[in-house]
Amino acid sequence: MPNSEVITHDVIIVGAGLAGSWAAMATAQQGVKDVGVLSKIHPLRSHSGAAQGGIAAALNNVRPVPGTGPRGPLEQIPVGDELVDSTELHMFDTIKGSDWLGDQNAIEIMVNDAIDVIYEYEHMGCVFSRTPDGRIAQRRFGGHSAPRANYAADRTGHVLLHTIHEQALYHGVKFYAEWYVMDLIVEDNAVRGVVAIDVLTGKIHLLRAKAVMFGTGGYGRAFKITSNAYANTGDGVAIAYDAGVPLMDMEFVQFHPTGLYQHGILMSEACRGEGGYLINKNGERFMEKYAPDKMELAPRDLVSRSEQTEIDEGRGVMDDGQGIFLDMRHLGREKILERLPQVRDIAIDFVHVDPIDDPVPIQPTAHYSMGGIPTDVHGQVIADASGTPVVGFYAAGEAACVSVHGANRLGTNSLLEASVFGRRAGYAIAEFIKGGAKLLPVTGDPAERSRQAVKELLDNPGTELVEDIAQELKANMTMNCGIFRDEERLNIALDKVHELQQRFKNARVMDKGSRFNTDLLATLEAKHLLTFSEVIVKGALNRTESRGAHSRTDHPKRDDEDWLKHTIAHKGEDGRPQFSYKDVTLYWDRFPPQERKY
Amino acid sequence: MSNNNAQRTVTVRIQRFNPDTDKKPYMQDYQVEMKPGMTVLDALHEIKTHQDGTVTYRRSCRHAICGSCAMHINGRNTLACNTPLKNEVTHKNTVTIGPLPYLPVIKDMVVDRTTFWEEYLRVKPWLIPPDDIPEKEFRMSQDEVKALHDAETCIMCGACYSSCAVIGLNKKYIGPHALLKSFMRVLDPRDSSPAERLEEVSGADGVYRCHTIFNCIDACPKGLNPTQAIETLRKLAQKRQKLEEARRERQKHLNEPIPA
Ligand SMILES: Cc1cc2nc3c(=O)[nH]c(=O)nc-3n(C[C@H](O)[C@H](O)[C@H](O)COP(=O)(O)OP(=O)(O)OC[C@H]3O[C@@H](n4cnc5c(N)ncnc54)[C@H](O)[C@@H]3O)c2cc1C
Ligand code: FES
Repeated sequence: MPNSEVITHDVIIVGAGLAGSWAAMATAQQGVKDVGVLSKIHPLRSHSGAAQGGIAAALNNVRPVPGTGPRGPLEQIPVGDELVDSTELHMFDTIKGSDWLGDQNAIEIMVNDAIDVIYEYEHMGCVFSRTPDGRIAQRRFGGHSAPRANYAADRTGHVLLHTIHEQALYHGVKFYAEWYVMDLIVEDNAVRGVVAIDVLTGKIHLLRAKAVMFGTGGYGRAFKITSNAYANTGDGVAIAYDAGVPLMDMEFVQFHPTGLYQHGILMSEACRGEGGYLINKNGERFMEKYAPDKMELAPRDLVSRSEQTEIDEGRGVMDDGQGIFLDMRHLGREKILERLPQVRDIAIDFVHVDPIDDPVPIQPTAHYSMGGIPTDVHGQVIADASGTPVVGFYAAGEAACVSVHGANRLGTNSLLEASVFGRRAGYAIAEFIKGGAKLLPVTGDPAERSRQAVKELLDNPGTELVEDIAQELKANMTMNCGIFRDEERLNIALDKVHELQQRFKNARVMDKGSRFNTDLLATLEAKHLLTFSEVIVKGALNRTESRGAHSRTDHPKRDDEDWLKHTIAHKGEDGRPQFSYKDVTLYWDRFPPQERKY
Repeated sequence: MSNNNAQRTVTVRIQRFNPDTDKKPYMQDYQVEMKPGMTVLDALHEIKTHQDGTVTYRRSCRHAICGSCAMHINGRNTLACNTPLKNEVTHKNTVTIGPLPYLPVIKDMVVDRTTFWEEYLRVKPWLIPPDDIPEKEFRMSQDEVKALHDAETCIMCGACYSSCAVIGLNKKYIGPHALLKSFMRVLDPRDSSPAERLEEVSGADGVYRCHTIFNCIDACPKGLNPTQAIETLRKLAQKRQKLEEARRERQKHLNEPIPA
């Protein structure tokens, strides 16, 4: 690879989804203009744009028609009438959804900032769906006890992402589209910059900055059936971990109840929010058994487990019995066309079923990464359980763990989290820079080290195909570290990860060129999958309880005595994760732990 | 589901070009086992990961929302990720894939969209809001939202842009994607600068450059109609002062409930 220049900015942001773009926009808005945003794909291709259903905030625009019960049809709340929602209720729902693992100070900030963030989106031009009197339209979502999912048909993420990207451009943020960050530089617990590949040329650059922020998204691609985009390979998480930064609560992975059968592509929870049913082979609405009150709109961990139980007990649909039907026919053509047009196209394109006429086969799909890089409520990354800051390093969105979702995220809370904490990180970074932050020196030539690493990969005469290693990993994670877990399977999973890490040393990159080498990128991504999967599995093995999305059949109960705490994993000297634990922030007087029933 | 789709081997014919090593583009054939439900993107993935890692294309979401994977498939611009392979296989058992036309090729199916994004930037895609920002949301009617629906669905994949005969003639032209964006802002009751926007798009390289050949409509994988939006912009450009006045009037009530 040819040599290359050093690039310097006050602030470098990695990732241009909602978290990264908000941070960039807010930093620039606060007067710190020298901001560079790196994204491995064009900003508008970021996975935030794939979000469908909505973004939570207790705006109190709609309510169930009085007298029709909590599942009745929705109408706008007439001016002056009693309100149905509150930030307090949003907070409680989120805490309960998190199975009490969420930090309540962070959740409180999120639900309060929510209202303002939604209005800011609207004022910036975001085109939300509307109530008849012109307010932002809201629908129901799982685990939320009021209709508070603010939406734009079923492409909410798309409109939010376009809006915030436009604003970042307006504020003069510089974007490096198709730059792949491969290393983070931290020395003496202070950030120095990143090393990145300019994908077009293949040149590897050192980028120095006073502050670095990661908004690199989730890690769902470690699983075989997933709703996540190809890009969601948890790069940021793995890169930070390799640089000595800890990861938190990585064992908590959300499985969404309605991925398209065999594809995993998402059928939004809005399908159920608008009234869709889940049906087994016998035509039963089986959620009656598992969540008699909330039914299909129970939180995702519970619904996915219920589906998997139906499947495991022989009541699944399709030839192999691995599916469940999502039935929306009773919603009628008009509602489906108006509220769920994208979802309908997806079902037609990929399983050739029109939801207007037939039930859609679905199955649980790996969807959301609750764990990530630990931060405080300002996006400041912390280095240990006692909260020591990694100076100048920030994170937000799905790559981060602040933690508002705890053991299980509620739908519509993550677009919210990425926006609220992306914005807060932006404000904090601007303060940090204005407070006189310095460009710290870098020891040696980190870009040269990265160049060597890439050269070694390219020169490796290995015999293993990267894809085969990645596929084996994904199958292993889905089978042995999936919806239901136990010690035996987790041990198998861990052995497999170790075996694949070894085999990766014999991996062969087929494309040896420098120009737009996506084969090389896929290889780096596979390495990242192998890195953090070990942390997921080991964390899951250690946690001998069931909480939220982490369900151990050999330890079926939540154990607050021993496990009401966050998992923190550092990369040890031997390259293996070292674990410590961090207290959960609870308001014992307001929201003490309760049994979680729906 | 796709039981009418017996397994068989198909030929995927790919236009290859790496300017670093190739003098000019050439075609290369790959054989792929067609599995039920396979998309064109799945076939490319199979080739790239198991046969030839140098085959290069963009992709991310794999369900037609991120706009990465627009390419030229059997002579037509479309998305690879939501195009079923079996629909594209011709009687010769072959599907032919190349980059979007008229744009410089970076490598294989990866094209240089620089001008595309420049034009997008040029129409100022962001909202220019009124000075008076309410405490809550601006009120918009359901019909006002509906009018923006199409423009708002655009995923900026470039299929329209690279099917446009005007772009093909190498003329400077804002392009259907950016005009659609401009249309979206011009029609948004919250936008305060419709006249200025119309001024910008009605120059020589703007709405009048469109020859209404409708290629963009055929090309759009989201079923949108940029030509119609362009025609609307033309009409509005004629009476932009009137529109500006009407907008000022409308904006006096942005804070009030939409009457029943
Ligand atoms: C199908 C689907 C539907 C969803 N629907 C909803 C919903 O309705 N409501 C809700 O609240 N949440 C939803 N979610 C979750 C939500 O969309 C995500 O959690 C959120 O958008 C994450 O935003 P982000 O900014 O953290 O990351 P992303 O939007 O994923 O952005 C990550 C960014 O990091 C960049 N990046 C990553 N690695 C590198 C690297 N090595 N170098 C350079 N750049 C890099 C990428 O290019 C990208 O720009 C959904 C998720 C999925 C999968
Ligand atoms: S991969 Fe996103 S549009 Fe095709």
